[in-house]
Amino acid sequence: MRIYFERSGGFLGKPVTCTVDTESLPADEAAALQEMVAAASFFELRETAPQGRDQFQYKVVVEAAQVKYTVETTDTAAPDSLQPLLRKLTLMTRSTKFSS
Amino acid sequence: MSHRHSIFCILPPHILQEIARRGSLAQRDLAIRNLTISAEVRGYRQGLAVTAAKLDVTDALAGKERIVYDAQNSSVLPGLRMRGEGDPPTDDPAVDEAFDGSGATYDLYNEVYDRDSIDSRGLRLDSTVHYQRGYDNAFWNGRQMVYGDGDEDLPEADRLFNRFTIAIDIIGHELTHGVTQYEANLVYNNQPGALNESISDVFGILVKQRSLGQSARNANWIVGEGLLTSNVNGVGLRSMKAPGTAYNDPVLGSDPQPGHMDDYKSVPYDNGGVHINSGIPNRAFYLVAYELDGLAWEKAGRIWYDTLTNRLTATSNFQAAANATFAAAKQLFGQGSLEQQAVQMGWSEVGILVEDTGNDNPPPPPEEPPEEPQGCLPTVKSLLGF
Ligand SMILES: [Zn+2]
Repeated sequence: MRIYFERSGGFLGKPVTCTVDTESLPADEAAALQEMVAAASFFELRETAPQGRDQFQYKVVVEAAQVKYTVETTDTAAPDSLQPLLRKLTLMTRSTKFSS
Repeated sequence: MSHRHSIFCILPPHILQEIARRGSLAQRDLAIRNLTISAEVRGYRQGLAVTAAKLDVTDALAGKERIVYDAQNSSVLPGLRMRGEGDPPTDDPAVDEAFDGSGATYDLYNEVYDRDSIDSRGLRLDSTVHYQRGYDNAFWNGRQMVYGDGDEDLPEADRLFNRFTIAIDIIGHELTHGVTQYEANLVYNNQPGALNESISDVFGILVKQRSLGQSARNANWIVGEGLLTSNVNGVGLRSMKAPGTAYNDPVLGSDPQPGHMDDYKSVPYDNGGVHINSGIPNRAFYLVAYELDGLAWEKAGRIWYDTLTNRLTATSNFQAAANATFAAAKQLFGQGSLEQQAVQMGWSEVGILVEDTGNDNPPPPPEEPPEEPQGCLPTVKSLLGF
């Protein structure tokens, strides 16, 4: 599974991105990410329009089993089930291993 | 958007309060219920969604009223009510900072610019703290302010951000998004969006300087001071004095803000860089305030406030804002006044040459909803024996 993640906006306004290939992760970390994607029912999520002021805007692209799916959302629009994945990917952007 | 309480009767609150104190039991109940509904409606009134038959309860209920809620680390808004107007401090710093900061912002608008809250009609100031977990942000959702706790979910050595209520100018910034929504309502992309952001930074920093009693020349003009932990090489989130210099850190990266039109960034993210290019009008404001010295909210702030409330439209760009501040300075302080010259100089330093549009008179204010609620006042009055 490959994930491209982009977060922009927010009070700070500084965009962060990361690209993750679960193949290159330790097995437990890869499994944790896959579980987060599954728990979010990621491939069934709908796009949502940006709203409010200073909210983060997220773009998440997941490629798995030859399916590529993109979700664009914001803090208040994203379902709770997606929040752990967004937080995990945000922290991954801080690592030079994944940030692009 | 319609409201559930589409039918209810309105009496002026002083009458309701009188009934609540002196009426019969049944009268008191009715009065209290009306006061409660009025307060609810007031809390939920929306800028462009004044429905409920345009019943205007807010004039009568005007004044400072705040509520701070706790999302308890969830995404649910507004969350659990923690502190309301008149309540004593809690033992939660985030709750008390949100309460005090929204109070200081209300006071700036009210005492200096004679404005009663976000909508100028006493809209209740709602804030929610402890939003989600590890939420490095604060926002205005169109109705209320929301604050995260920063990187509280990480070990201390890995934290970059503290809680977002820690900086009073962030609270002023978010609340000002509400004011802008009710006034110029600047669209949130490209230059109008960056102006929207800059206006929030301007009044946010004025709240901070006023609370510290700082003059323009003694202030550091750092937005979000104290937000970054000691793990980060940075002094805050933005610098209005020297945009692009607030932080430069191996993990966080460097501050992307330009301070001059030559460095304007057209970017495909952040709604065209609304939090980035705001550095340009931010610096113009700083330069004007510095030039005029004294207390920035008294002169520079007044020019910007008049511009926001009387002269900008939803699609105003930087040039239009520069021209509008020039016209505002002329009206407030006179043609060729030091204030007007300072405005011209401030914009020119960031690469915008003010054009004298000769527009001394601001456009007429938007239409007001009717003052008196229709229909039910006489009914309720007679019911209560008035
Ligand atoms: Zn903002």
